[in-house]
Amino acid sequence: MQVEDRKEGDVLVVKVLNKRLDAQAANDFKEKMTEYINNGSPLIVLNMSDVDFVDSSGLGAMVSVLKLSGGDGQLAVCGTTERVARMFKLTRMNKVFSMFEEESEAIDALSQ
Amino acid sequence: MQIEDRKERYKRIKLVIASNLEDVSLIGIVINKLCSSIPLSDTDSYQIELCVVEAVNNSIEHAYGNEKGHEVEVIFTLYPDRLIVDVCDTGKPMDQECMEQKDVSPLEIDSNDLDNIAEQGRGLPIIKAIMDSMTYKTQSGKNCLTLKKNIWS
Repeated sequence: MQVEDRKEGDVLVVKVLNKRLDAQAANDFKEKMTEYINNGSPLIVLNMSDVDFVDSSGLGAMVSVLKLSGGDGQLAVCGTTERVARMFKLTRMNKVFSMFEEESEAIDALSQ
Repeated sequence: MQIEDRKERYKRIKLVIASNLEDVSLIGIVINKLCSSIPLSDTDSYQIELCVVEAVNNSIEHAYGNEKGHEVEVIFTLYPDRLIVDVCDTGKPMDQECMEQKDVSPLEIDSNDLDNIAEQGRGLPIIKAIMDSMTYKTQSGKNCLTLKKNIWS
């Protein structure tokens, strides 16, 4: 699982560089995100703009990370491609995650 | 390969992968390309890829218990008005009752109750929500999940 991260004020922006967040990548993703949270990054923007495939295992890992982060106000998702966004809608995850088109919107939302 | 079957034309390709989660993306990529070439829309191709990936994951994780060294077969058949994908393994059969209970209800969630939102168990409900039908059969030690999607004729 390849990610890159940077700080924007109190918000940690994590960009997923893998094309696929699937059953193979799910555990690795969860471990990486858990590490960020345990290392004291309570506000995280997850930039998914490079991800073009998410399956139910990837989604499950994201739910697990959301729970660990403490919920809605702590983690935001941005940049999902149209087809990944439809997967979120199909599984109602668009109501569980705070989702934004632009990274800057997600950072602003968590910074408030 | 193009075949005449009871006067109905179809095209078929069989793909086989080892029971490694690392290899499932190979199946996904091929299925997506096949769907795009029909042609189906980008979203439809992705959704069918998703269903096939979910089915293959189920075979590897549940039928084979993540044990390597087995095979999962994916047979993609394109008819003029529908496509059929069979995902077959020779592992532990899926509980038929469990299969019948898998409707789309696990996708209905209370978004305000984060603790009770499941982290797994969405594979079959996703398939049910996207495909027009899903059937499961075990015969002579071979389990096949058959997915059907109607397409334009």
